[in-house]
Amino acid sequence: MSSYRCVFLMGLEQALEYRVSFFLSMLSAVFPIIIQTVMWNYLYSHSDAAAVFGYEHGQILLYTLLATIVSQLVGAGFEGEVNGDIKMGGLNKYLIRPMDYKWYQFFRFLGQKVPRFMVAAPVMTVIMAAAFWQGLPISAGRVLSFLCSLMLGMVLNFSIFYCIGLLGFWLTEVDKLFGTVGIVLTVASGGVFPLDIFGGLVETLVNVLPFGYTTQFPVNIINGRFGWERIGIGFGFQLAWILVFACLGCYMWRRGVRRYAAVGG
Amino acid sequence: MGIIEVEHLKKEFSYYKKATGIKGSLHNLFRRETLTKEAVRDISFSVEKGEMIGFLGPNGAGKTTTLKMLSGILYPTGGRAEVDGFVPWERKNEFKRRISIVMGQKNQLWWDLPASDSFYLNKCIFGVDDGTYRDVVTELSELLDVRDLMSVQVRRLSLGERMKMEILAALIHQPDILFLDEPTIGLDILSQKKIREFLKLYNQQKKTTVIITSHYMADIEALCQRAVIINQGQLVYDGRLGDINRVLGERRLLSVKTSSEVNPAQWEGFGTLRETSAAGAVLEVPQEKVKAILGAILAGLPVEDFTVTEIPIEESIARFYQKEVVAP
Repeated sequence: MSSYRCVFLMGLEQALEYRVSFFLSMLSAVFPIIIQTVMWNYLYSHSDAAAVFGYEHGQILLYTLLATIVSQLVGAGFEGEVNGDIKMGGLNKYLIRPMDYKWYQFFRFLGQKVPRFMVAAPVMTVIMAAAFWQGLPISAGRVLSFLCSLMLGMVLNFSIFYCIGLLGFWLTEVDKLFGTVGIVLTVASGGVFPLDIFGGLVETLVNVLPFGYTTQFPVNIINGRFGWERIGIGFGFQLAWILVFACLGCYMWRRGVRRYAAVGG
Repeated sequence: MGIIEVEHLKKEFSYYKKATGIKGSLHNLFRRETLTKEAVRDISFSVEKGEMIGFLGPNGAGKTTTLKMLSGILYPTGGRAEVDGFVPWERKNEFKRRISIVMGQKNQLWWDLPASDSFYLNKCIFGVDDGTYRDVVTELSELLDVRDLMSVQVRRLSLGERMKMEILAALIHQPDILFLDEPTIGLDILSQKKIREFLKLYNQQKKTTVIITSHYMADIEALCQRAVIINQGQLVYDGRLGDINRVLGERRLLSVKTSSEVNPAQWEGFGTLRETSAAGAVLEVPQEKVKAILGAILAGLPVEDFTVTEIPIEESIARFYQKEVVAP
């Protein structure tokens, strides 16, 4: 068996080891959905929000639901470990083995996502079926594009957070940064509400910056908001940003590992 | 030429100075003073294939830093090293397949999963074939007495059990060279003994070259013929473990038991008085004078019994640690 397949399976095994933690993390996705549904219901019943935001009431609820799920699927969470490995000398064990640390983290990240996918897939299917029944234009092509963009979104988010984790080579104490960066990036990726409701400059920024391509882009494919041309351009941006962050990650690793002090023991 | 060749190896670390308390922290926010610590300064030695050497020194002497450079974890600041024909810090995969390192204070196993999962991962990473893998795990788990613990999560193992698993994991790919950094630290006497016996047997059978650091002299005495001692980053001794006393001047400990109490002043003429009590005394004397001094004591004092012993190796090494002496 190839070593990365083995890492992938061990990541999966590890995610299943702590069952309670796993179910709680799934449950924690429910609360933001409830809060947002209440908030949007209030806004839409008290103002002409549809005209302001450019989203119908049903559309915005669908967006919130899907974005929360996608956000959970692409979410990183390993950056603290990368930083810890650098800070506490845990990197030693990877440096002495004939394997690449980035691929190791990547396949473990994928392995740990599998249980989440297994829970998210039926939930998404139910939501999509309900939306289809309400008149949403879903086609096989869209579902396929959505799945592709979701995969690329995961790779992109991994690349971004891998670079953030590698900052540990230069900054000793970045743990606290992760919380802040995590929240900012979740909002910036459209994981809370669609950023195109702001229009103008914000919308342009979202279209150019990498973050929206982790969450908002896949959601906008499946909810029918993007036409095929936009989808094509979006894939281009996704791939370009993956390339940028992958190169940045390789560069940071090469520079960082020379500085690495392998502290302790 | 040895399997490990180290020449003028150096490693410097830079760090920031920080005064105690908030004031120091605030000061550091704006201006930091960078200091340099020379962890390893100009070390040279060579190790032959199949040799097992004790790498000794007090805490902070640079032992671990040296091992990290030899295993390719750290880049040196200067000097050169060749391990099994490779420059370690170039980190070639072929080099990594030939070495292994176990650190007593670091965990290399997956904490949440059974050790057997980590073994299997190592098998995949190092490309060990199924048959060899099965044989190695069966043999080593029996020798280390951990066969029944293979499917227990690592976090549930005792420190001693975990250490045995760490060693087993490090040997899955049957390395030519094994670096052991305090493999028995914090273990009870029985576990220490088990690991020692295992390492001795393994070294004899497989002819694996081993460099071991330990603060337990029992480890070193049981395993190593040769010791390399460093202090403050510098080599202070490289030679046979048994020769350490010779370097320090051959001296003996003379323990004498008397039938009645002897005035301490009476002992002093015979040698360096180490301890004295109503029942006798312990004297440190030059080896060549043992006979004469013993004769004089027997003639002049009410001796009941006596023993002559070498100075404990631990004590001799401690004198190297205190930098009282530098090897010839």
